[in-house]
Amino acid sequence: MKKEYIQETIAQDSRLLLRKMEGDAVTTVWERHRDQQPHCGFCEMGLSCRNCVMGPCRIDPFGDGPQQGVCGADANIIVARNLGRMIAAGAASHSDHGRDLVEVLAKVAEGDGSGYQIRDGAKLRRLAAEFGVDVEGREEKQIAADLAYGMQEEYGMRRKSLTLLARAPEKRRRLWDKLNITPRGIDRETSEMMHRTHMGVDNDWQSLLLHGLRNALSDGWGGSMIATEVSDILFGTPSPRPTLSNVGVLKKEQVNIIVHGHNPVVSEMVLLACQSPEMIERAKARGAQGINLAGVCCTGNELLMRHGVAMAGNHLCTELVLGTGAVEMMIVDYQCIMPSIAQVATCYHTRMVSTSDKARFPGMTHREFHPHNAAGLARELVQEAVDNFANRKAVYIPVEPVPAVGGFSVEAIVGALGGTPEPLLDAIKAGKIRGAAGIVGCNNPKITQDHGHVTLTRRLIENDILVVDTGCAAVATAKAGFKVAEAIQYAGPGLKEVCGALQIPPVLHMGSCVDNVRILVLAAALANALQVDISDLPIAGAAPEWYSEKAAAIGAYFVASGVYTVLGPMPPITGSMDVVHLLTQGLEGVVGATFAVEPDPEKAAVLIRERIEAKRKALGL
Amino acid sequence: MKQVVVHPERCVGCLQCMLACATAHSRSRTLPEAVLESPRPRPRVHVGVGCFDEGFPNRCRHCDPAPCMLACLPGAIYRDAQTNTVLIDTDRCINCASCAMVCPFGVLRYHPDVLAPPDKTVAVKCDNCIARQQKGQIPACVEACRTGALTFEPLDGAMRRKTDAVSRTVSAGRREVPPPAGYALLTTIKHEQVRLRSH
Repeated sequence: MKKEYIQETIAQDSRLLLRKMEGDAVTTVWERHRDQQPHCGFCEMGLSCRNCVMGPCRIDPFGDGPQQGVCGADANIIVARNLGRMIAAGAASHSDHGRDLVEVLAKVAEGDGSGYQIRDGAKLRRLAAEFGVDVEGREEKQIAADLAYGMQEEYGMRRKSLTLLARAPEKRRRLWDKLNITPRGIDRETSEMMHRTHMGVDNDWQSLLLHGLRNALSDGWGGSMIATEVSDILFGTPSPRPTLSNVGVLKKEQVNIIVHGHNPVVSEMVLLACQSPEMIERAKARGAQGINLAGVCCTGNELLMRHGVAMAGNHLCTELVLGTGAVEMMIVDYQCIMPSIAQVATCYHTRMVSTSDKARFPGMTHREFHPHNAAGLARELVQEAVDNFANRKAVYIPVEPVPAVGGFSVEAIVGALGGTPEPLLDAIKAGKIRGAAGIVGCNNPKITQDHGHVTLTRRLIENDILVVDTGCAAVATAKAGFKVAEAIQYAGPGLKEVCGALQIPPVLHMGSCVDNVRILVLAAALANALQVDISDLPIAGAAPEWYSEKAAAIGAYFVASGVYTVLGPMPPITGSMDVVHLLTQGLEGVVGATFAVEPDPEKAAVLIRERIEAKRKALGL
Repeated sequence: MKQVVVHPERCVGCLQCMLACATAHSRSRTLPEAVLESPRPRPRVHVGVGCFDEGFPNRCRHCDPAPCMLACLPGAIYRDAQTNTVLIDTDRCINCASCAMVCPFGVLRYHPDVLAPPDKTVAVKCDNCIARQQKGQIPACVEACRTGALTFEPLDGAMRRKTDAVSRTVSAGRREVPPPAGYALLTTIKHEQVRLRSH
């Protein structure tokens, strides 16, 4: 095995596929990352500004060259503006994903959402009650119509504050009010961030950053939370079920279809089509043993959580899975889909299909999904994938899949605890579980793939810290074998005892990246049960391999909600040490939590343990 | 006499010198037009990648004696005495790559160029922006550099500054002059990432 493959990833399937694809002369993300070195230092430090055409401008970090942009903005203002726009882009992405789900809910209510239906009526009623929608004696569709309308208003400017903030502890809500960072409308805060960062608007770097927190909260307690909750209503609230992970989930004898992206609106329909007897017959008639649907990235997580659909890999695997030569079709929606991917597919027989009116990719066939045509189009695509089986050439599936359990929604976790969070609180109070950490986020070629996620998770569970994870982090630990009940062998004695008794893994898969809100809801529920603020809890967050703007928004809503959050890669802020100090120290006195940056997961684990022990001490535990 | 001096510790790897160099050696001398020209103008300065993914602007040192000059059989490489610049006569160049083989710094490239006969591949390297200097301008790479990694100054002045900087580090009761905190922080993180990747 070449040294580079070992440096690039700890996952054996990735290493073997990298070697194979080098032989196929396929370029991957790692090679492009190398070609980009050195990265521009101005941009890495957040010191370049392209917001207007008097510029572009940059600030000399050594102090001899220009210290102000043409408009007069200094390093603090430029760094804060750039970070603000990063958060805005992340919040916009999650929230627009949520908007698409609300639209489907509205169509279902109108009776125009053929193929979609309300699968969790109880959750619909619970949500409706939170939104003040009358549920007594009314039909599901009537309730759904009013709920969808109420959610549409969350996106606008008719609210003074977002409805689901009510789930947060009262102390936290009062703090947000005091700081004037209570989010008022989902789109409003993003739009206002774009306004504030226009030349000549908000030029107080601290006030820009505070609005960044408000913008992030509009995602966490707004757009993302709506995305998760409406997905549960439409596709079912997840409950624990077994699944498999890594590229070995692809099957040589079957038609393999991979869904990639984020929104279950497309992938759920593809799943239904794959299960239809007519399609399975068609596959058999063409010499395949059946149809195998697998996921990559978060739309894969959505299916894994609700149906146990197998997971072929996380972000940096998305090109590699095609190198198996075993994928008949990859169907994508949006977010985190590298535009390179269709070019990779040209080396194999894989057909690439884009489905969203807002996300097109070079080299892909565009087949647009809408609620009215989704079921039929999904069948058409699956049929074409089946027909493509005949074009398959050499297949290389180098590993066996690793078993995992997914599906730990808040409802499922509380269910596993016997219907109340008390047993978890008791275990924390007794010190059997020292605390909990949410490990979330992406892969990033700057970090050896999965090394950050897996190392940090191992160290935390060894030290009796329960880990909940989502997104690409959750896939990394599934591939590493941490998501089965037997993984308690890696846990410390207390966590081993508690998870052993409940027959749950020490690392709980809570879903996709919008599902980070499940972690917020769980944290809020624990804080409410203890009658404390979220920032008082012995918990922490981490994004050891983050890359995306969405992760910046997630990190900011975690911190603004009171969760200490350790990032692996450094965000582009070192151009202003004032901003660095505020985010890593100053925010403690403002929102009761800060960011930390630590690329070494061993050291990040120490930071998190120290934080959790300090919080335990403050609670008198 | 002024010359281009490289201060590697100041390079942030923004690649602006490469863009400016290619533009300065184009027909139009403006970036938006230069990218449309044929032959495509190319830079003579090349930002390389160090052990920690940091940049280094690698350019011709205009050595004296210059190995490339000694190795050039057709005698295409010569020195402009006034600016102490090693230049290439593109009419005489036979594209034999002897100069590249002996160059200790790897600064030579071979491609068609706006300054060469049409369609002829020739050896290309830094010419100290002699055409710009004749118009009273400084070399394009120096003009583009905003961090002081490239300066245009008499070498003895630059060396005196460096000597003083070294001297201060051995002064009794010396005052450290640390790099800017943010830059040092970013550098620490990048070193850490490289260390972790090569564990």
